Amino acid sequence: MTVDSGREVLIRVRGLAKSFSGYQIWDGLSLDVYRGEILAIVGGSGQGKSVLLRVITGLVKPEAGEIELFGRNVKTLSAKDRLDIESRWGILFQDGALFSSLTVLQNIQVPMREHLDLPQAMMDDLAFLKLTMVGLPPEAAHKFPSELSGGMRKRAGLARALALDPEIVFLDEPTAGLDPIGASDFDHLIRKLQQTLGLTVYMVTHDLDTIFTVCDRVAVLAEKRIVRTGSPSELQRHPNHPWIKEYFCGERARAAMPATRAQAANG
Amino acid sequence: MLKRDHQLVLPTQARAPGFRVELRGTTFCLIATGAWTVAEVVKLDTALKRLRVPIPPTPEFTGVMDIAGIAEIDTAGAWLLQRTAAAWEKGGLRTRYAGATESFRVLIEEVQRKGNAEQPKLEKRDPGRQLIEDATKALIGVWRDAVQLTAFLGEVTAGIGRMARQPSRFRATSFVHHLDHAGLRAVPITSLICMLIGAVVMQQGVVQLKLFGAESFAVNMVAILALREVGILLTAIMVAGRSGSAITAEIGSMKMREEIDAMRTLGIDPMDTLVLPRILALVVALPLLTVIGDIMGLIGGGLMANSYLGLDASTYIDKLHDTVKFRDFMAGMIKAPFAALIIGLVGCLEGLKVEGSAESLGTHVTSAVVKAIFLVIILDAIFAMFISAVWG
Repeated sequence: MTVDSGREVLIRVRGLAKSFSGYQIWDGLSLDVYRGEILAIVGGSGQGKSVLLRVITGLVKPEAGEIELFGRNVKTLSAKDRLDIESRWGILFQDGALFSSLTVLQNIQVPMREHLDLPQAMMDDLAFLKLTMVGLPPEAAHKFPSELSGGMRKRAGLARALALDPEIVFLDEPTAGLDPIGASDFDHLIRKLQQTLGLTVYMVTHDLDTIFTVCDRVAVLAEKRIVRTGSPSELQRHPNHPWIKEYFCGERARAAMPATRAQAANG
Repeated sequence: MLKRDHQLVLPTQARAPGFRVELRGTTFCLIATGAWTVAEVVKLDTALKRLRVPIPPTPEFTGVMDIAGIAEIDTAGAWLLQRTAAAWEKGGLRTRYAGATESFRVLIEEVQRKGNAEQPKLEKRDPGRQLIEDATKALIGVWRDAVQLTAFLGEVTAGIGRMARQPSRFRATSFVHHLDHAGLRAVPITSLICMLIGAVVMQQGVVQLKLFGAESFAVNMVAILALREVGILLTAIMVAGRSGSAITAEIGSMKMREEIDAMRTLGIDPMDTLVLPRILALVVALPLLTVIGDIMGLIGGGLMANSYLGLDASTYIDKLHDTVKFRDFMAGMIKAPFAALIIGLVGCLEGLKVEGSAESLGTHVTSAVVKAIFLVIILDAIFAMFISAVWG
């Protein structure tokens, strides 16, 4: 496994290029994701943040560039290795993407059924444990996705993503569509699960509150590549780029920033 | 998955998880080793379940889960340890953990906290009772559908009444658009189907009636059948499948995206803009399609009469003149506007019943087609009995 400046790199992306119907969205995009960090990908609409997630997870093919997952180049992976890698990550799609014909508990068991051979009683117990770990009430176990609220669907989706105790989880706009209280709860849940399970978290987000409360590092997608990476406060202090300046030093950012919050609390 | 040491890659034989129980002084030790991760630890599930809970001879005996030998652990491993520890506690042995790293401890404590919740049991229902419940529900559903459809018929009638008094409410563009879609564009497929069925009925009629030497009467049978039943029924079923489903899908997707609510708040009546143009277009289009269907049915029959009975076109037309009366044609035609009304009503009503989700849209489109075809056939049966009683 590749070790870079003392930290283990789980995902290494080099020189990625992709265009949609003639429009080039990236040209020479490079990114590293380190073990144990919570990384946020930010960028304006249409910069391909969600597409990048789909490219890394293999749902969309890039036109050029190299992707290494857990130190293995994806181009040279055999089908079996690919399956093995898929059991080492979990993905939470925007609205949970739960299977509508299965109950929440059955949804959480799907990855276990596909990748492992576990006795049913153990799967039931483990799925139920995951369900309580993401903060869902026990009654939700036998409900269908259509009977849950948006926030509960996201939690159930997260439980499914965590079903196999993955090393890395991908979150696509985890707090989008949640009310501020629900979003803040979800932020804390992500932080707590990351600490408990030793997860690496890769998230696509717009939410400045999420970035300032839970993220260790931010990668900014602009001008068809990752223009900068750094901790949220670092980017705020030294933006060095017009888009970053607007994003991290705008009115909304000042409200979300921990320093201003402390001031507001004191004053 | 948590590792004791990230630099260390375990060789395969060291990954195999294991445990043994030892008594050290007054302490029962469960000594766990290897990788306690979900893929590996499943091998220990039964062994841990079968493990006898040590019975403490005196209260000062304690239990220890010694996990110093565990190199990797995840939720599944922590849960199995916790299940065993809980069983020991229940047996009266105070149990603690030893040899956990900081990160292992955090995970185990989380599993301890969350593992206690009572799992709700899925209640199994009595199948006999469920059958009765479902049947009752279905019956109530049929009754409710009938009530809703009748009420909707009333609303549509009232809408037409309003339109008659205020002709400016009539949406001509929309009407013409739907006339094109439900009528003109359905001509090729309806013609083809009616012609094929006309041909098939003629061919079968000739073959079967030949047994009685009455094959020339096949022409009478096809003529009467095509005009009275087959033409209208096939056309109506085609239109129900083609346009009825389209109506439900269009109105339903508008309902799903709250477009209909937006129209209402803007003072636009969905009855005028969506429902009436579609129903009126169907009521005009279906009789026209039926005429074409009738003709094509007769042509299809004629083609078969030519090849099986050797009748040429003029003889075939003469025979038709002898057997068919104008009222046979009318007996079929009279049903067309009513069938159109049913298809339109069911299609619009199901569309308006759609709720927020895509599944709901799918269910209602299916049920619109099924209900429309069912009702068209019922209507046909009632008309057939009525007409033969009145006209003979």
